[in-house]
Amino acid sequence: MSSSDTVTYLFALCAARPPDEALSAVAGHSGGGPLRALRAGAVHLIVQDVPAADFDERTLADRLNRPGDLRRCALAHHRGVAAGAPCGPVVPLPMATVYLSDDNAVAAVAAREEAVLAVFRRLTGRTEWAVKVHAAPGEPAGSPAPPAAARAAPGGTGTGGTGDSGGSGAAGGRSYLSRASARQRSRRDLHETARAVARTVDLTLRRYAVDATAHRPQSERLTGRRAPQLLNAAYLVDDARHREFTAALERLRADERLREVEITSSGPWIPYSFARLDEPEAMAVATPEATAGVTAGAGVAGVPKTGAP
Amino acid sequence: MTDVSGWADPEDTTVYVPGPNNSTLADLLERILDKGVVIAGDIKIDLLDIELLTIRLRLFIASVDTAKRAGIDWWETDPAMSSRAARDALTEENEMLRERLAALESRLEGGSGSPSTPTTRSTPTESTPENRVR
Repeated sequence: MSSSDTVTYLFALCAARPPDEALSAVAGHSGGGPLRALRAGAVHLIVQDVPAADFDERTLADRLNRPGDLRRCALAHHRGVAAGAPCGPVVPLPMATVYLSDDNAVAAVAAREEAVLAVFRRLTGRTEWAVKVHAAPGEPAGSPAPPAAARAAPGGTGTGGTGDSGGSGAAGGRSYLSRASARQRSRRDLHETARAVARTVDLTLRRYAVDATAHRPQSERLTGRRAPQLLNAAYLVDDARHREFTAALERLRADERLREVEITSSGPWIPYSFARLDEPEAMAVATPEATAGVTAGAGVAGVPKTGAP
Repeated sequence: MTDVSGWADPEDTTVYVPGPNNSTLADLLERILDKGVVIAGDIKIDLLDIELLTIRLRLFIASVDTAKRAGIDWWETDPAMSSRAARDALTEENEMLRERLAALESRLEGGSGSPSTPTTRSTPTESTPENRVR
């Protein structure tokens, strides 16, 4: 259906065909047509015709490297993926998966049909929950005994011991150093404790999940927090156990013994983090696909030709 | 849970309001740029580091919010201006943020992670309005 000035943007794969009305009601990428469904064997594709000019290699990279465009694109992508969710399992594709034609998209998916069906089976009736654990906020200042004591008693009954005279000159310097190192030690201890607590949180939540995965912890620059992120995990939870999972989360949050950390969560997510083709065969299938009847014989190698014949 | 309305809302750009269902754009980007079933498309894209993109986006949103609060959102509301003007505004904003980010990064590399938060937050606030109004 794509003419030469549009390309086919693939959002997600579904086990059941989403109704046309539901798809066309969703706003996809700006400048594109309505969302629609294609079919590759037992797999349904949610796609949109988008302007080729906006989605060629260079332009796309430029756009995604611009924050405003990236945000719009990201939200449009998520809407397109979510459009399939009411009808059963959805397998999202990474943002900006684009084909020159519907046929290319269908061929690429058809070549992996079995693997995709396996992912559907794994995700059916399950959602993803994101859980982050941060060291408690204001940890250096608001932390319990040691640093507070060191601060409250300048040169007093210092835990560090040695130069606690609090006087002037060398003694003052020594006591400062010992206080500083005590502070550093206690901070290290706190971090250790917090890390252990994060592990406990993770292990506890895994009991209620069918699968779990750890994302790279987000940096402080990214979160805008001062406290380090100790855990950035995603859990795949059966719908039937979803309440147990959130209840466990609440218990952890309320647990007095876990005060060193702050636990935040979001969900339910479409299971982005668990949508992967595990089967090694999937990789093997990738090559023969070009022979499997890709129309223009273009292969999928990715020379961007905007003008299809 | 099968109710669709219950999906985590990535539109919520607030960074970490404690409580359930608070997802952020950072969470979303982490997922849609990095996760999902990878089936090679016809068009390959070269993205910057995801974290860097996300940080930029965070700064951008903060600055846009600030501008909106100040009533400077003409590029969104005036259809005649919108497309071209928005692009200019974005490009300009982007360049400014690049510079700020570079400055922040070099400062961070100089040690002590602690100044990052206040600086990051205040940067867009002070810079945006003047930048927009010219």
